[in-house]
Amino acid sequence: MKNSFVELHARERAEALLDGKVRELVGPLDNMISPHLEPQGIVPESDDGVVLMRGTINGKNALVISIEGKFQGGGIGEVSGAKIVAALEKALEDNKAGKTIYPVIVLDTGGVRLQEANYGLLSISEIHNAVIALKNYVPVIGLVPGRVGSFGGMSITASILSYLIATKKARIALNGPEVIEQEAGVREFDSSDKDLIWNTLGTKQRLATGLVDEVVEDTVDDIKKSVSEAIDEKKDAHRTEHADFYLSLLDKLDLTKKLDIKEYRKLYPEVKTQKHVIADATESDKPGTKSRGRLWFEKLTGIKNAKSSVPTVLHAEKDGKEYVAIVPDADNKFPRVRDGEVGLEEGFAVASIVNKVVAEDADKDVKRPIIMVVDVPSQAYGYQEELIGIHVSLGSSAAAYAKARQAGHPVIAFIPGDAVSGGFLAHGLQSNRLIALDDTSITIQAMSKASAARITQRTIAELEEATKHVPAMAYDIDNYEKLGALYKLVKGIGSYDASDENVSKIKDIIDEAIKSTVGKPADLHFRYETPIAVESGRKATNAVRKAVFEQWDV
Amino acid sequence: MEKLHYKFETKNPIKKPIHIGVVASGDLEVIFRPTDSDETVVNIVTGSDGFKEVWQNVLDRFFARYPIQADIEINDFGSTPGVVNLRLTQAMEALQDEK
Repeated sequence: MKNSFVELHARERAEALLDGKVRELVGPLDNMISPHLEPQGIVPESDDGVVLMRGTINGKNALVISIEGKFQGGGIGEVSGAKIVAALEKALEDNKAGKTIYPVIVLDTGGVRLQEANYGLLSISEIHNAVIALKNYVPVIGLVPGRVGSFGGMSITASILSYLIATKKARIALNGPEVIEQEAGVREFDSSDKDLIWNTLGTKQRLATGLVDEVVEDTVDDIKKSVSEAIDEKKDAHRTEHADFYLSLLDKLDLTKKLDIKEYRKLYPEVKTQKHVIADATESDKPGTKSRGRLWFEKLTGIKNAKSSVPTVLHAEKDGKEYVAIVPDADNKFPRVRDGEVGLEEGFAVASIVNKVVAEDADKDVKRPIIMVVDVPSQAYGYQEELIGIHVSLGSSAAAYAKARQAGHPVIAFIPGDAVSGGFLAHGLQSNRLIALDDTSITIQAMSKASAARITQRTIAELEEATKHVPAMAYDIDNYEKLGALYKLVKGIGSYDASDENVSKIKDIIDEAIKSTVGKPADLHFRYETPIAVESGRKATNAVRKAVFEQWDV
Repeated sequence: MEKLHYKFETKNPIKKPIHIGVVASGDLEVIFRPTDSDETVVNIVTGSDGFKEVWQNVLDRFFARYPIQADIEINDFGSTPGVVNLRLTQAMEALQDEK
């Protein structure tokens, strides 16, 4: 196509959006290369697939962050992630100081770069934190040109951006069709059915149901005009702030049959938003579905057989702390969350709970700590989850936690169970302190082994070989500790060892963690400032941040 | 993945660093940097193993035509010799634009 934007590479796209004179930060000549690819036999790129460019858009000071979809599927690894986070944080600093700068993110990305797995998740949660903070000053505009689209953790990013522009060549979804097929079977989603994919995840469908804000023609001029207007008019869809709407929508779904796309489009505009208040969990006679998360939630709050109006979401205030857990429910009306996955209802329900806590404490000097009990084996893999927009649900809880933390609530994650993928981004990774039990049963990763092998076109044996060289690829908590993100790895207490003595120990550690946040910045810097992170775990992150900071102003 | 190293006797030092290309399927990036040394070093990381001689031929031909003195890095994701030659030539064009 003549003058196509989609056909351009990341650097050309950034140049096309900016007015003329541009300046690239930490470019290909700066030697900021992923240290994790070569050890796995993968050719790296000198800019790690992310272009940071400063200039003006229609005369206004702007930062364009452009992700190269053709390099490793636009996946976010440690270096590429740190480039984005550092640039957004500098933009935040400038805006705070009254030097207005408008960030635009060109999303052409599969999400977490699976070859750097846990680095991708950490980076993406840090991107979410920075975007939420920036939105207090300027709109953060998202552009999904295609062909990769915006998937995985970066679809959650897409949902929290102020305004989302896309072409017809793009798709937006949390889970790619191949991953859904791998995890839930071909009858749930046939990844060879191209019509199904485009009708479900394509931007035409997304525009009709509020998941993108504008679909533009694929020309440089049209796209630049739309971006420029979004900036000038400070457009903001507040997409992740509609928990009540979506919870009302979910009430209306007939879950006995597969939701048809046409029917959904008819249902969507008819939904009347009703207030949903998820009350504190109460005691009951019947034990809920057994899980590590439920066990620790019940022990920490003292509620026996905890029960809630949303069976998978438990919360309660105890000793001045708000505890939140996402738990399995063997009989749940949504089949894809029965093992404790974070699905449509879970993200919106958590958002509603956390937003209420923040509103209640708005005028208080000391904000209530929020403790997430994390045992999430993943997000829900399902067709209707994607059709409705599970990424918005996960974006809603991530945004709520980030806002709570930024408002001064200590947000602590306690991990006695699994912490995987989008589930972890939605419930866990927005905490400023992570506490985990040192138990071999804990899986902490970006994707199941089977799916990760399929997507990266490796065998499971090759995948396991890679984990020996790159700790971020591993699935266990001990390798995770090597990244430096943990506040504390608790030795000697197993996932299911919730004795009174152990519970009291954990409570003490949580209290210490809360204390450690007092008077400290309410961001996620702790993770790359621990001794392990500085020494080894986030060495590249810290080097990238330094380089971006040095080059920000000339 | 294979790492390849070549040296060439050259005589025309370049003045500015240049970057061209993307590490995409069938594509590559090339980086030229000025050097104080009196020879040109080419370091290649390629996703396609076993093409050492082909690279030698492509580079021989390139330096016969453009005997530039530079540190050269190439990250290659399975490009054909034609694409390699194209990117190298584009880098030369970019160098000449700067002058």
